[in-house]
Amino acid sequence: MSMNDPIARGLASGWNVVDASKLTENQTAEADVVVIGTGAGGGTTAEILSKQGFSVILVEEGGLYYQKDFKMDEQTAYASLYQEGMSRTTADGAISILQGRCVGGSTTVNWTSSFRTPEQTLNYWRDTFGLEGLAPDVMAPWFEGREERHTMAPWLTPPNQNNSILRDGCEALGYSWQTIPRNVNGCWNSGYCGVGCPTNAKQGALMTTIPGALDNQAQMFHGLRAERLVMKQDRIDHLQATAMGSDGVTPSGVTVTLKAKHFVVAASAIGSPGLLLRSELPDPYDRVGKRSFIHPVSATVARMPAKVDPFYGAPQSIYSDEFNFKNGHDGPVGYKLEVPPLHPGMAAGVVPGHGQQQRDNLGQLPWLQSVIALLRDGFHPDSPGGTVSLRDDGSPALDYPMTDYLWKGIRQSYLDMAEIQFAAGAEAVQAIHMDAAWHTSWKEAKAAINELPMKPHRARIFTAHQMGGCGMGSNPEESVVNGFGEHHHVANLSIHDASIFPTSIGANPQLSVYALAARNSVRLAQKLAAKS
Amino acid sequence: MLDQPTHTAENPPQLSRRSFLKTGVGGALFLGTVSMTAGLTGCATAPAGRISPVKSRMDASYQFQFLSKDDIALFEALLPALFAGALPEEPNKRQFEIAATIERIDQGIVQFGAPNQKELRKLFDLLNFAPTRITLARVWSDWPSVTTKEADAFLKRWRNSRLGLLNNGYIALSKIANVAFYGHRNQWHLTGYPGPPAWMVEALPQFKNA
Repeated sequence: MSMNDPIARGLASGWNVVDASKLTENQTAEADVVVIGTGAGGGTTAEILSKQGFSVILVEEGGLYYQKDFKMDEQTAYASLYQEGMSRTTADGAISILQGRCVGGSTTVNWTSSFRTPEQTLNYWRDTFGLEGLAPDVMAPWFEGREERHTMAPWLTPPNQNNSILRDGCEALGYSWQTIPRNVNGCWNSGYCGVGCPTNAKQGALMTTIPGALDNQAQMFHGLRAERLVMKQDRIDHLQATAMGSDGVTPSGVTVTLKAKHFVVAASAIGSPGLLLRSELPDPYDRVGKRSFIHPVSATVARMPAKVDPFYGAPQSIYSDEFNFKNGHDGPVGYKLEVPPLHPGMAAGVVPGHGQQQRDNLGQLPWLQSVIALLRDGFHPDSPGGTVSLRDDGSPALDYPMTDYLWKGIRQSYLDMAEIQFAAGAEAVQAIHMDAAWHTSWKEAKAAINELPMKPHRARIFTAHQMGGCGMGSNPEESVVNGFGEHHHVANLSIHDASIFPTSIGANPQLSVYALAARNSVRLAQKLAAKS
Repeated sequence: MLDQPTHTAENPPQLSRRSFLKTGVGGALFLGTVSMTAGLTGCATAPAGRISPVKSRMDASYQFQFLSKDDIALFEALLPALFAGALPEEPNKRQFEIAATIERIDQGIVQFGAPNQKELRKLFDLLNFAPTRITLARVWSDWPSVTTKEADAFLKRWRNSRLGLLNNGYIALSKIANVAFYGHRNQWHLTGYPGPPAWMVEALPQFKNA
């Protein structure tokens, strides 16, 4: 264990961090503010509030994993850092959900891509949801502040081969492409962001706002699951939480009661609606859990004549917005094109197959390249989103039905991605779809893709970005919180995570969460100071 | 070791038609005339705990926490088909990789947490209960007697089925096995993945012994 590691140093210096799995007795703790979730929203909130002098308790269901645990190993990472050990899916099993479950949340396992909320999205929110205060020029200083806090900058190192192919294909076809800004400091360009950054270069919540909060006397419980917010009259009185046992997933039987003047929920677009539903908080217009968005992801894989080694190098450094906004909000669904890293475990799980054919496909891994399309859901009436509801055991589940509108977009995205890959010199291209085959020409691929059945399970769909479910809006009949993340019906409750987005973002969402959480936390700090 | 009730006629697996249809693994399937809750006896789904060494596996110290003896037999029948062409030829090595992969599958499922464990329990129970194994999987003999060719035919049937439920079952089985197998360092050579860069392993503190 390295004493150059901020977490190790902080723990040794006396940070107030409690591993709830080690607790043997029920207990109560109290602070000015309880923050539920230690991801993009929770970390930002806790740091800002604790620096303003408020006592803060952070609650994290997942474990505290840091450099000593990050050994660039897929299997241990997927089991320990991801929701449901990487087995989380939508209710019908058709969409795989990649989401973090650990201190730092999804920012501990994301691929570092950092984008401001697109202006088109902010303007749509203003026009459609009455969110006047989120105009691009108003949000600009908040984006700047978080870009600095998380060391975000366009990636200057040449893109790895996997990403170059997206660039080359776009160039050949006259499509626009840009370099992705990344939240890294001293990155070794290795490509293991998705299994926990082994060098502490990634400036997610784990390396920035969580240490910042803990340095300012915040207390953090990890291995502690928020169960219910309990109200007294019109305010939340306390949070009931259950400690996980040593396996991290089975409750130990110990409960912790957390009291505070104000509660900030930042448990993700699946976790936050789940918590509000379990708590049976006032929801007179039945909005909680509705309009849940995921940037549905489709993928194609190409076999290139020269080695790609898609498992090495910064995983995402090139993107194309050529197809993202060109149809406006009323036309066919837009999508952002990016590149995913391909490590063997993930590749074997994503390519739908078995036996000799699977072995032959995966045997080509060093020559494989992939493009993904992230569909910009939530902007069209035929893209109303999914619903988060509770299973019998109280855990949240996302039901996301794909509509014909979205299926059309999936098919079109396969076509655009395959065309780009052939234009970049691919020998063969295959859609990640159970009925797809390798095709050695764009003409052949195009004809075949137009015949693929667009059906759940057969087309392999993924999500790495979960948004909505506690949407913002000026009208309480259509939203859960106002433009500052303040709950419409409960005075001492705020929501500071991606669940407040009224639509999907149209870009990787971490910076949107950081910026809104910062703005909303500064306001919260002012309100709390005024009260006392 | 997790203590799970042995299923009997009085305590049948949670396979009522309605609960099965409602679930992620369930989806919309018409189960025909198969009665799910009648006549179920001796359906042992307790975790296997420690089991005796499997052929060449010298060390029987692994403690199964989720997979029952029947589940293990199911995977022992499926893995040769799931990894056809990828398993070692030499019988001892082959058996070792099969056994080691099944252990990793068990470890992976522990981390899935209760909701998805429940889904997998339903899937495995369905495949281990002869009436549904026959009607849904069209596998006539019990899993220890199933040949690799028959196992492959079953996997392909579910993969190619028009029923989303069965597609979902195929993906659940193949994905968990594929990740446990190809993701492990013993199989990296099959994908040409060299592993984490040696220079990084040498330079980083987390790889140095305490």
